[in-house]
Amino acid sequence: MRFEKEVEILAPREKVWNFIWDVDRFIACVPGCKEAKTVEAGKRYSATMVEKVGPFRVEFPTTIEVLETEELSRIKAQASGADNKIGSRMKIELNVHLREQDGKTMLGFVAGVDILGKLAALGHGIIKRKADQVLDEFAQAVKKQLEGDS
Amino acid sequence: MLRRFRLEEPETVREVSELLARFGESAKVYAGGTELLLAMKEGLVQYERLINVKKLKGLNEVKLDNGTAHIGALCTHRQLETAPVLQQRLPALVKLEKNVANVRVRQVGTLGGNLCFAEPHADPGILLMALGAKMVAEKSSSKREITAEAFFVDAYETCLEADEMLTEIRVPVPKAKSGVAYLKFGYLERPSVGVAVALTLSDDGKSVGDIKIAVGCAGPAPKSVPESEAILKGKSTDEAVHRLAEAGEVAGRAARAISDLHGSQEYKEHIVGVLLKRAFQNAVSQC
Amino acid sequence: MSKAMSRRADTQTIPVSFTLNGRLQELEVEPHELLLDVVRERLGLTGVKRSCDVQVCGACTLLVDGRPVSACTTLAFEVRDRSVLTIEGLAEDGKLHPLQEAFIEHGGFQCGFCTPGMILAAKALLDENSKPTEDELKHFMHGNLCRCTGYKKIIESIMAAAKKMRSAGY
Repeated sequence: MRFEKEVEILAPREKVWNFIWDVDRFIACVPGCKEAKTVEAGKRYSATMVEKVGPFRVEFPTTIEVLETEELSRIKAQASGADNKIGSRMKIELNVHLREQDGKTMLGFVAGVDILGKLAALGHGIIKRKADQVLDEFAQAVKKQLEGDS
Repeated sequence: MLRRFRLEEPETVREVSELLARFGESAKVYAGGTELLLAMKEGLVQYERLINVKKLKGLNEVKLDNGTAHIGALCTHRQLETAPVLQQRLPALVKLEKNVANVRVRQVGTLGGNLCFAEPHADPGILLMALGAKMVAEKSSSKREITAEAFFVDAYETCLEADEMLTEIRVPVPKAKSGVAYLKFGYLERPSVGVAVALTLSDDGKSVGDIKIAVGCAGPAPKSVPESEAILKGKSTDEAVHRLAEAGEVAGRAARAISDLHGSQEYKEHIVGVLLKRAFQNAVSQC
Repeated sequence: MSKAMSRRADTQTIPVSFTLNGRLQELEVEPHELLLDVVRERLGLTGVKRSCDVQVCGACTLLVDGRPVSACTTLAFEVRDRSVLTIEGLAEDGKLHPLQEAFIEHGGFQCGFCTPGMILAAKALLDENSKPTEDELKHFMHGNLCRCTGYKKIIESIMAAAKKMRSAGY
């Protein structure tokens, strides 16, 4: 599944870039994400993702690896996790880009999400919708955090 | 094999509500189990306790009272197929119930369970919405009526509170000079598009009086479509027929169709339009 | 060590008293045990099959109080105080039921895997409606799947059995 989102943030580019690396605050913007930890600054992070669709609940201990960065403009990362209770795995390939436009920062995400295992039985459509919701909430939370500050 | 769980067998709604309040997400109401047990077998959900509600009295009857059919939440699909009250006054619901899943599921599966599990690919909620049905939810200390529109929140999600139980479904019986139609399209037992139309004609039979339209199965939950209703309401039947395509397009978008193995979003939206046209004409012909 | 002895003292069990093929059975089951497993593993009646395991195919059809259920998705304790009929209980004193005879005579089975469920479902149909139209038959039986026959012979068998049963006063 592929998702693309772009959100306009009324804050300068450096501020947005620095916010991304402020792991605790950044992870706090992902709905259902908790216990963010820096394993190796700039390279590896861990978090637990908890998502619910009706009575179905998943808890993915997730490892996030930063693969490429381009200062102030681009990050490529990979996240993977497994919920053994429900026999499912998740893999996300994330591309984040920042660009400046008329004094605002355009923060864009392109995410490739794969859900494997039993959870897929819920139906591709339901999972897609949920993931879309999560990304939407995430983008809005980031925007709020950054704009609220100044 | 299922994972071990403890069986609770309360005899009153109050006891059910107390158990739900006490054990929270580790307990679940169990009636026919036709959807719950499958999810449990798949390992998608786990419960420490199942609360068997089949010992509660009075929740599996169909009664007609003052123009409203009171359907107990524990009525099985099979009971609803064969209930004389429904056969006489709500034949569209009988037809729908006859075609739920297969004869074995209909034998034990309950209407209440179907509505509460809120599986996206389900029929009854859609027709009940078009009929203006209300759900009765009870807990230890209170009872409330919920419109079908408010009941269905999202895929697998209703507005029921954690300690509430659905006990009854109240369906206003259609008046004279009215037509009700539910049409579905699907693969084997899983409907992928469902459309319900309930309407009355004017006294002279020449124009559309009241009309309610609901769509579902294609998207996460049943949805009523007031925008399509507005296009057709009050129009002469001839004009309404000409505007069905437009109403169908609006209803298609309202369905919030999700592309999946049942079909693409565009395909499902298209089918909504087709079924709306047919359901409308079917309903008019009944008047 | 018997299964009962290996259970922990605090395990919940439910006494289930029911008639199986006309004879009284008394068991203790745990709440999570499925009817299919109890009938096959504990009672040794393997005519009922585990096939799709999601109550779509009908190979696990059993009759409880004369009505068809999916044994794969029925908790065993639900048959307490009820009567259960499996395919093994259909013939009486070695004499085949008209449905069984009809399936043989008209070739209503090939591999036979769906057949016990198919015949029990057909019995439930004919007990409720002794003269079904072909449409009524198809509607009732549409939840019993067969991968071998293409259904034509199954329909013929059931219709023939219905005729026989009507004249024999079943």
